[in-house]
Amino acid sequence: MKSFLHIALLVLWTATALGQTSSGTITGTVKDTETGQPVVGANITLRGSFIGAATDAKGKFQLLRVPVGGHSVIVSMLGYERLAIEGVIVARDQVRRLDVMIRSVPLQTEPVIITASRREQSLQEVPASVATLTARMIADRNNITIDEALRYVPGVNMLSDQVNIRGSTGYSRGVGSRVLVLLDGLPYTTGDTGEINWETIPMFEVERLEIVKGAGSALYGSSALGGVINVITREAPSIPELRFRAFSGLYDKPQYPEWDWSPKPRFTSGLLASYSGKSGSVSYLVSAGRTVDESYRENDAYHRWTLFTKLKVEISNSQSLTVSGNYVYRSHGNFFWWKDLTNATRPADGQRDGLVTSRRGNLSLAYKEFLSDKFFYTIKGIYFGNFWRDDSLGRVNNVSASHLFNLDVQATYFVNDIHVLTFGVAGNFDKVNANLFGSHPGVGAAAYAQDEIAVTGDVKLTAGLRFDWQKVSVLKATAQVNPKLGLVYLHDKETSLRMSFGSGFRYPAIGEIYIESSTNVSQVAVLPNPDLKSETSVSYEIGINRSVGNAMSVDLALFSSDFENLIEPSVQIKSYHPYPGSLVEVTGPVIQFENVTKARIQGLEAVIRVEWWKKFFSTDVGYTYTWSRDLADNTVLKFRPRHIVYTAGAFSWDEFRVSADFRYLSRIERIDENLVRLAPIVDGEQRVAIKLVDINTSYDLIGLGLPIRAGFSIKNLLNYSYVELLGNLGPVRTYFLSLEGIF
Amino acid sequence: MIAAIATLPLKMKRLPIAAITLLLLSCDHGLAPPPPSTFKPGFGGTVYFEKGTWPGPDSLVGLWIFASQEYPLDSVKVLQGLLSSPPKIFLYPSFTENLPFSVDSVSYSFLLPPSTYYYVGVIQQFAPELSTRSLRVVGMYGQSDVPPLPIPVVVTETDFVKGINIRVNFRKPPPQPF
Repeated sequence: MKSFLHIALLVLWTATALGQTSSGTITGTVKDTETGQPVVGANITLRGSFIGAATDAKGKFQLLRVPVGGHSVIVSMLGYERLAIEGVIVARDQVRRLDVMIRSVPLQTEPVIITASRREQSLQEVPASVATLTARMIADRNNITIDEALRYVPGVNMLSDQVNIRGSTGYSRGVGSRVLVLLDGLPYTTGDTGEINWETIPMFEVERLEIVKGAGSALYGSSALGGVINVITREAPSIPELRFRAFSGLYDKPQYPEWDWSPKPRFTSGLLASYSGKSGSVSYLVSAGRTVDESYRENDAYHRWTLFTKLKVEISNSQSLTVSGNYVYRSHGNFFWWKDLTNATRPADGQRDGLVTSRRGNLSLAYKEFLSDKFFYTIKGIYFGNFWRDDSLGRVNNVSASHLFNLDVQATYFVNDIHVLTFGVAGNFDKVNANLFGSHPGVGAAAYAQDEIAVTGDVKLTAGLRFDWQKVSVLKATAQVNPKLGLVYLHDKETSLRMSFGSGFRYPAIGEIYIESSTNVSQVAVLPNPDLKSETSVSYEIGINRSVGNAMSVDLALFSSDFENLIEPSVQIKSYHPYPGSLVEVTGPVIQFENVTKARIQGLEAVIRVEWWKKFFSTDVGYTYTWSRDLADNTVLKFRPRHIVYTAGAFSWDEFRVSADFRYLSRIERIDENLVRLAPIVDGEQRVAIKLVDINTSYDLIGLGLPIRAGFSIKNLLNYSYVELLGNLGPVRTYFLSLEGIF
Repeated sequence: MIAAIATLPLKMKRLPIAAITLLLLSCDHGLAPPPPSTFKPGFGGTVYFEKGTWPGPDSLVGLWIFASQEYPLDSVKVLQGLLSSPPKIFLYPSFTENLPFSVDSVSYSFLLPPSTYYYVGVIQQFAPELSTRSLRVVGMYGQSDVPPLPIPVVVTETDFVKGINIRVNFRKPPPQPF
C-alpha cells in the first residue's frame, strides 16, 4: 500500500512538473451564430493533444498550459457544426483571445461518434445507423438507469433488462446479450451469465450513450450481433464543481383495485452527488449515490449504494492516464413474475420472501499517447467483478462469483489524406465460481484492423476484419473471423447515402454452457451443454440521411440480418444421468441451452426531427418495422414487436422546458410457451400493445441566481397497464420531482 | 399554451391535433384483471384414495390429475404431450404443484381449454427424476370393465363438467402402459 502511494505521488509530481513548461493560455467565448446567445457545454480542444475545456454557463472557456506555437483549435457541440480553427498561435505567457461563433444544425447530422469506427467521426461519415443520448436528454426525462433511457431510442426496446436493437435479442431468460455494451469503449457484460448489468453503470456521470445499430463484431468481438451501445463517462471540468441530483417519485394507485396491494403510498427516491475538478494536470471526479425504490409491486423493493471515481493524469500534452472505479451494492426483492393477472402486483407464492443481494464493481485503466498528430494509441484494461446470491426464507439458494478482465491495445494512424488505419489486439480472462454453473475459467484473444479510405472527396470506404479466439475451461478452443465493409457517399452538403455489411458473433456465456441445477427447475432437470457453438449474424444496411434546410433532418434505413445457431433454452426429452457419476441413465424432459434457431430479421426505420419557430419547439418521430422469421419452422420469432413508434415534442422558452414522449410497441406475437407452462406463469400469455405517454417539465433557476434546475415528470401519464416481459406488470403512473444543481 | 396554438398557421395547428389523436389512441387501459364472473370451462369432481394403499414417501414424488387428448398413452407420449406446443396433456394442480398426499379424498376444479379429453386420471411420479421410468397411472375416470376403459370427457366453451370422480388404489393401478 505504501509503495502504491509513492508511485501515485511520483506520477502526480511528474505530471505537474511536465505541465510547467513554456506555455500560454487561450481564452474566449463560444456563441450561437443565429441568436448570439452563449453556447453552454461546448468542447474546445487542441488537435493532437489532451488540452481541452468546456464552456461555462456564460459560454466562456479557458485553455491552460498551451504549448508555444501554432495550433488547430476544435470546437464541437451536439447540435452545432463542428469547427476547426487553424493557425492559432500562442506565445510564451501570452493570453490569446479567441471568440468563436458556431452555427447550429439539425441534431441528427453533426454529433461526433466514436463507437462506429473506434475513433472520432462526424455522424455523416459513419456507414451505419447511429443514435446518441446525451446526459441532458437523460436528465430531462428523469431517467434513473441506462436501460430506462434506452427505451426512448428509435428501434430499441427492452424486455425487462434485456436490450433489443431492431429485434436482435428477443428474450433469453436473462442470460447472454446479443447487444454489446461498452463502458468507455471496453466490454461490460458479466462474466458468469454474459448479461448486461445496467445498475452498475454510473448514470449520473454519463456524458452520452452511442447506439450503433447492426452487427459490430468486426471491431468489438463477441456479443455485437445486433448492435453496440457505448456508455461514455464524462470528463472532470477544469473548474471545481459540486453537482447533485435529488429526486423523489410517487407511484400512483394501479388502474384496478385488485392490484392495489399496499395500504400506504409507494415512493422511489435517490440522492446523487459528485465533486470534480482539476488540479494542475490531474483531473478528478468522485461520485456517490443512494437510491431506494419501494416499487409498485410487492417484494420488488430495492436499496442501492453506488460509488464512482475517475482520475485522469495528463502526464504531458500528448500522454494521459485515466483510472476509474465503480462499486455498487444492492439488495432487491425477488419478483420473477406475478401470482396471476388478478394479482398482477403480487409475486407468485414461492417468490414472496426471496431476496437477491449483489456486490458488483469495476476498475479500469486507460493510457493514451499521441506519438504525432497523425498517430496515437491507447491501452485500456478493465476488471469487472460480480458477486450475487439469492436467498429465500433464510436459505441461500444460488451464489455466483465471477471475475472478468478485458485488455485492449489500439492504434490509429492517419496515413495520409486518403487512409486512416485503426488496428489493435485484445484479450480477456474470465473466472466463474457458482453453484449453478460450477467453477470454470475462460480465456480469449483477438486482433483487428480497419482502413477508412477516402476514395474521392465524396466517397469513403471502410473495410475491417477481426479474428477472435476463445477457450472455455477444458472445451476445445474456437475461432471466428468477422469482416465489415461500409460505404458513405456525400451527395451534397445535406445528403449522405450509406451502405454497410458486417458480421457478428456471440460466444456462449459460461452460464449457458455449464448451468446445471441439482434442485431442478420446475421439476425438470437443467443440464449443461458443452457442445454449444457460437451464434453468428450477418447484417446489411442501406440508408440515407438528409437535412432539409437548417431545421429538419430525415434518416431512412433498410436493414436485413441473418442469424445462425441462435442459442435458446429448449425443453426436450433426452436420456441423461440424473447426477454426476450416476451409473443409471433415465429418459425424461430436460432444459438445456442449445443452438436451435436460424432466423432472419428484416425491416425499415425512419427517424425525422424537425425544429420549429427558431428552435423553440422540436418534434421527433421514429418508426421501426421489424419482420422477423424463425427459418427453422417458418414462424415469427419469439419476443419481437413488429412495430415500434416513438414520438416526442419539446418546447423551450428561456429557462422553461416542457416535453412529451409517446411510445408504441405492437403486441408481441409469439412468446415462449414452455416458460409459461413449466414455470408456471399463471396468465403468462396475457399481453397487449404498449402505449405510453410521459410528460416532463423543468425550470432553470439560474435566472433567479440559483444554479439549480427543478424538474417535474409524469411517467405513464394514462396509467396504462402492460407487460414487457411475461407476468411482469409495467410501472404504473409515477410522479417525479427532481432538483439538480451545479456549484 | 392554448392561446399560443390559436395563433399558429393552419398547417402548424395540425400538429397538436395529431398529438392529441395519438394520446386518444392510448386511451384504453391495456391489461385488466379478468372479471370475477368470467366463466372458465373445465371439469371437476372428487378423487377418492383407497385407505391404506398410500405408498411411502420415497416413491411418492409427484401426484397429479391428468387430462389427455390422446389415448392410449405410454410414458414417452405423456412427456411429449406435456411439452408439445400447444400441449395435448394437462396436469392439475400444475406442473410444479401436487395433489395433497395421504388424504382420503380431494375435490378439484380442473380448468381446461375446450376439447375432448379421451383419457382422464391420476398419475404418480415415483422416482426423483421426471422420466419415462418414473411415471404410472394410478387411477382413471372410466368404466370398471376388464380391462377398464377410460370415458372421454367433452369440455366445450360453455361447459364446466361436474361429477368426474376418480378412484385411486395405489396397489391396484390400471394396466400399464396406460
